[in-house]
Amino acid sequence: MNVMSLRLEKREMELIEEMAKKEGKDKSTITRQLIGYGLTYLMLRLYREGRLSLEKVAKELDLSISETIDLLSEFGIKAPIDYDDYLKGYEVLKEAL
Amino acid sequence: MIIFDSSTLILLAKVELLKEIARQLEVVIPREVERESTVKNTFDAKLIKKLIEDGKIRVAKVRGKKGKKKLTDDFNIGEGEVSALLLARDKDFPLATDDGPTIKACKILDVKFTTAIHFLIGTYEKGILSKDMALVKLEKLKKYGRYSSRIIDNAFRRIKGG
Repeated sequence: MNVMSLRLEKREMELIEEMAKKEGKDKSTITRQLIGYGLTYLMLRLYREGRLSLEKVAKELDLSISETIDLLSEFGIKAPIDYDDYLKGYEVLKEAL
Repeated sequence: MIIFDSSTLILLAKVELLKEIARQLEVVIPREVERESTVKNTFDAKLIKKLIEDGKIRVAKVRGKKGKKKLTDDFNIGEGEVSALLLARDKDFPLATDDGPTIKACKILDVKFTTAIHFLIGTYEKGILSKDMALVKLEKLKKYGRYSSRIIDNAFRRIKGG
């Protein structure tokens, strides 16, 4: 594991200490967990805004695409598909089937 | 023939509609999509793997490394998504995708696209699925496909009213 030193606000430090105490883990473990949660949140937000594709989110979070679909479903993140895209897609499949 | 990227392929496998679709249509995926949709031992991965082994889904090689890199950068989409897009464009067949940025790329590159929910409506309208079964699968697609309520309502009306 790599070592990195960083400056934290007093409140952030207190929060990490509180969480570490509550969960019976050391501060490094809690900090790593929080970074992981933050990364997940950021990726879900970028996906929701249509700025990252499903495959890119999966890659960033080190998940399979199937697991990423499950994660998006768990958090109720809507697919960035517009209603007019839906109408267009309907016509395309009608021709193909 | 329809080209699939991983998003629609996996969604249809999750709602157990992929086998029926592969029976009705020629389903083609790029090698990159095969790799990323069968990477773990999930139910959908096993189903996709079996359909490929049985020759129900055809795997195609996509050439043009330079073109792939440019599209990946231009549209911020992944390798599998780009390969499926290029295959659809080169063969002039529709692309099945449930990915927002890939749909945007389709519009710019004039590639026709469709999504998982359309396969459900289509198979119902063709009489392949009963109304009850189509409604059950719509519930599952609502969960995994995460379509807007407007899209789900419209699909529900098409099935319920048909």
